[in-house]
Amino acid sequence: MSKNHYLARFQKGWQIFILNPLGKTGIILLIVFMLMAASSFFIPLLDPMYDPMTGIDPLIKESTGPSFHHWLGTDNVGRDLFAQLMEGAKVAFIVGLASAFISIVLGTTIGMISGYAGGITDRILMRFADIIMIMPSLVVLLILASLFGQFNIWIIVFIIAIMRWPAVSRVIRSQALSLKSRPFIEASKVAGASDIRIIFRHIMPNVLPLAFLYMTFRVTSAILVEAALSFLGFGDPSQVSWGMMLQWVWKSGHMFQAPYWLIPPGICISLLTLSFYLLGRAMDEVLDPRLRKEEERK
Amino acid sequence: MIEDNTQPAPIIELSGVTKEYRTKATFFSKGYTNVMAMDNISLTLQRGEIFGLVGQSGSGKTTLGRLLLKLESPTKGIMKFNGKPINDLKGKDLKTYRSKVQMIFQDPYQSLNPHLSIAETILEPLIVNKIGDIHSRKEKVIETLDTVSLAPGKEYYDRFPHQLSGGQRQRVAIARAIVLDPEFIVADEPTSMLDATIAIQLFKLLQQIRKKYNMTFLFITHNLAAAQFLCDRIAVIHDGVIVETGPTDRVIQQPEHPYTKKLIQAQPKFNF
Repeated sequence: MSKNHYLARFQKGWQIFILNPLGKTGIILLIVFMLMAASSFFIPLLDPMYDPMTGIDPLIKESTGPSFHHWLGTDNVGRDLFAQLMEGAKVAFIVGLASAFISIVLGTTIGMISGYAGGITDRILMRFADIIMIMPSLVVLLILASLFGQFNIWIIVFIIAIMRWPAVSRVIRSQALSLKSRPFIEASKVAGASDIRIIFRHIMPNVLPLAFLYMTFRVTSAILVEAALSFLGFGDPSQVSWGMMLQWVWKSGHMFQAPYWLIPPGICISLLTLSFYLLGRAMDEVLDPRLRKEEERK
Repeated sequence: MIEDNTQPAPIIELSGVTKEYRTKATFFSKGYTNVMAMDNISLTLQRGEIFGLVGQSGSGKTTLGRLLLKLESPTKGIMKFNGKPINDLKGKDLKTYRSKVQMIFQDPYQSLNPHLSIAETILEPLIVNKIGDIHSRKEKVIETLDTVSLAPGKEYYDRFPHQLSGGQRQRVAIARAIVLDPEFIVADEPTSMLDATIAIQLFKLLQQIRKKYNMTFLFITHNLAAAQFLCDRIAVIHDGVIVETGPTDRVIQQPEHPYTKKLIQAQPKFNF
């Protein structure tokens, strides 16, 4: 019934989005990384030695540069760096999207409740959000990791999500505050709708675009935090990721000996976060016509 | 239509209703400054009449409507609906009360959720009050759309607010208000955002609805001409005080209070 409506809105938004140079660049970068992540599923099937974690080339005993069999070379025990890089793309997507999704769900729900309920509920939730917001998430993660040993990748995802919802909830709260006093909310109240119905039926569709916008920025920060954590040696040791690759370069003393090992993961981290950032910026313009007008004036 | 106040069983009775707004206490002030939105208002609305509440901006007329819908609570005074006090309604009782009392809001561009289709908007009161099943609800919505002259109802069913004109949107808002067959409707300046020809069409629609369902209307307006066209009785409100009440023709032709006279003089003249 309402599919056409959402489809039409999406198409209109998409047109603005794709005409935007930022959005176009972001999408292209994102597609490249998605292909990389997808290829990580097939590379180990070619030969077991291409398994990013356990596959060792039997002929190689030390880190070697790019060759026909190993496009990016190998690490110090003979694992293929190209396979690791592709695997890293997959992990970055999982970490970024999963933790961004969790923090958006949390932040949006808490923000809507806080803004709509107001009063003491609002104060408690927002003070709680403030407390979490001022904690530096990397430092907290480092302390937790050093207390409890090595974390599983999913626990890291979850902790990043927990640390990153407050900013979202603040934005959604302010949006909910302004929506709350709009007549259509009162009309629905007069019709007898419950608070829960009003929050999820009337407020949520109106704040969802904003939530998605913030999701792209959360993805960026989650990827960066995970990379930093892994590089510092507190990541999930059973999981290849770009940060982990950098950690291995450093730990095995190849920082200056093996640029083919050091540079690709670094570039990938920068470009993937950049692509999500560009997506966010372009989405921002779709959602906020005031940003758009300047483009049109040119 | 109803001239004397002695008729039994009024639908709405207000006695001594007062609403004060208190400024919030801050660090430097205790917040004692009161803004008197409504001061000691007593009113009686008879079943089936269209009662006009006329006043300028800031006179407290919208506040009265919001109080009646329990969107706000009065500071003092008693409000009765069908003889029963409604001051302290909560939970289930409030929901039952609200199914009998509905509101048409001023701005049709703000009172419809842009993300819901016309059908979803009008269905909502039926769904939340658990009336009927999917099929009977759909029929009811189409019937109501026909009633508010958005005919054929099927054609408007799946549309969205942004595809409708202001007048059509307000008709949707009216449909949402009457779909529960309420006994009493507060119409808060329903035509102030619309142009005059659309306004007259809507007035006629309200009269038809009144006739068809015997609903009672509280018509809130700043426009005496509109009140004259539509209302059986009017009350003139000024700075939160009702200065004059009476049958529409009497109040407009022989105003007693100086403020009413001033208001009549200030009106642009129209002949409908």
